[in-house]
Amino acid sequence: MADKKVMVHVQNLKKSFGKLEVLKDISIDITEGEVVVLLGPSGSGKSTFLRCLNQLETATAGTILIAGADVTDKHTDINKVRENIGMVFQHFNLFAHKTVLQNITMAPVELKKMTKEEAQAEGMRLLKRVGMETKADCYPSQISGGQKQRVAIARALAMKPDIMLFDEPTSALDPEMVGEVLAVMKELAADGMTMVVVTHEIGFAREVADRVVFMDDGYIVEQGTPQEVINNPREPRTIDFLNKVL
Amino acid sequence: MIAIVQTYWSMLLRALGQTLLLTLLSLIFAMIIGMIFGLMNVGSNRVLNFIGTVYVDAVRGVPLIVLAYFIYFGVPAGIKMMGIQDFRLSALQAGTIALSMNCGAYMAEIIRAGIESVDKGQMEASRSLGLTYGKSMRLVVLPQAIRTMIPSIINQFIITLKDTSILSVIGFPELTNMGKTISGNTFKSLQTWAIVGIMYMVVIVTLSKIAKRIERRTSLGR
Repeated sequence: MADKKVMVHVQNLKKSFGKLEVLKDISIDITEGEVVVLLGPSGSGKSTFLRCLNQLETATAGTILIAGADVTDKHTDINKVRENIGMVFQHFNLFAHKTVLQNITMAPVELKKMTKEEAQAEGMRLLKRVGMETKADCYPSQISGGQKQRVAIARALAMKPDIMLFDEPTSALDPEMVGEVLAVMKELAADGMTMVVVTHEIGFAREVADRVVFMDDGYIVEQGTPQEVINNPREPRTIDFLNKVL
Repeated sequence: MIAIVQTYWSMLLRALGQTLLLTLLSLIFAMIIGMIFGLMNVGSNRVLNFIGTVYVDAVRGVPLIVLAYFIYFGVPAGIKMMGIQDFRLSALQAGTIALSMNCGAYMAEIIRAGIESVDKGQMEASRSLGLTYGKSMRLVVLPQAIRTMIPSIINQFIITLKDTSILSVIGFPELTNMGKTISGNTFKSLQTWAIVGIMYMVVIVTLSKIAKRIERRTSLGR
């Protein structure tokens, strides 16, 4: 592990909403190519932690370095850092007034990463990769939830990010559509993408994760390989949680 | 009634033209004012929020007729007190300012509500890709907000058109003012006001029909 680059370095991260302290003291390092799955009961701070990584939530205290850039520093151009961090949301958040292909090409073109033609070619390539090339000219309202999420993944990939954040990507899906989204994510993981995934899919964690992190009440309670955390948990709170969901 | 139309048609049409001119000018400025204060109100900057709220509350809290008097008579009097002589506002200038301010406050609320009706996730998704707040607003949020705003904006346009009649009190030669003149000259109130009423109605119904068509077109492809 020592020779691998640290992609995410979080030290003593705290986040409060008013009086409510959601993240109490989080420190973690994530290396390049690692797939980290965050587990934990709702309200444990998993999503908040994920959203702090690209500063959709501003940290109350602590340091977050993304590929060396300090995103908690006001002088850092957060927009530049975000170009390198793809994010996939629970409710997809596809741009409702744009077609599937336009959803993907907007950011690369606006941020001058590619010309319109390049972005469209790249967009079609990504759509093929997630199996959505036939729906390029559809509007988001015309496709299913699973399809929306695959497009959302393609949209995030279009910026060629170094790291991908997934915030409960399958929680809003009908059960029969969960598989198609997880399949795309597995493929991404196999390609060596650095991924941080908040999910309730224990099966996915067991199969794909390099490391499982169990969070509760604003702290990291336990972490390790899926074998360690899921099959042989040591902490009572982890055992309790796994008993409920498995 | 026909006699009145025969005698006064050119004056009535000219007055209607003035009404439409005042409406158009006010709407243009109101859109600008509404956009500025509406955006101030949705941002997270507390100072701008405060300024936006104060403007909207202040203008909505004053009857248009009082605002018109204030601008037409009050403001020049105040400037005179500051030692500047010969400052006057024409009825068109004062009327446009008063109506723009009034309509602008309502537009600001329509724009704020329209922006807030767009799911927060749209802005977040755009920001997560690295786009700035301004770009995200312009490319992602506003295009969706405008669709929901269109019916309210059309409604506000019609209200503004009707509100121009209030500006007859500062002597602006618009349609209602012309009605007063004609009924004073002819002593035929019933016929005169019927004609004036019909003229307003024809214009407003025509405009709202056109607006409906635009509305239907923009809601396609959603």
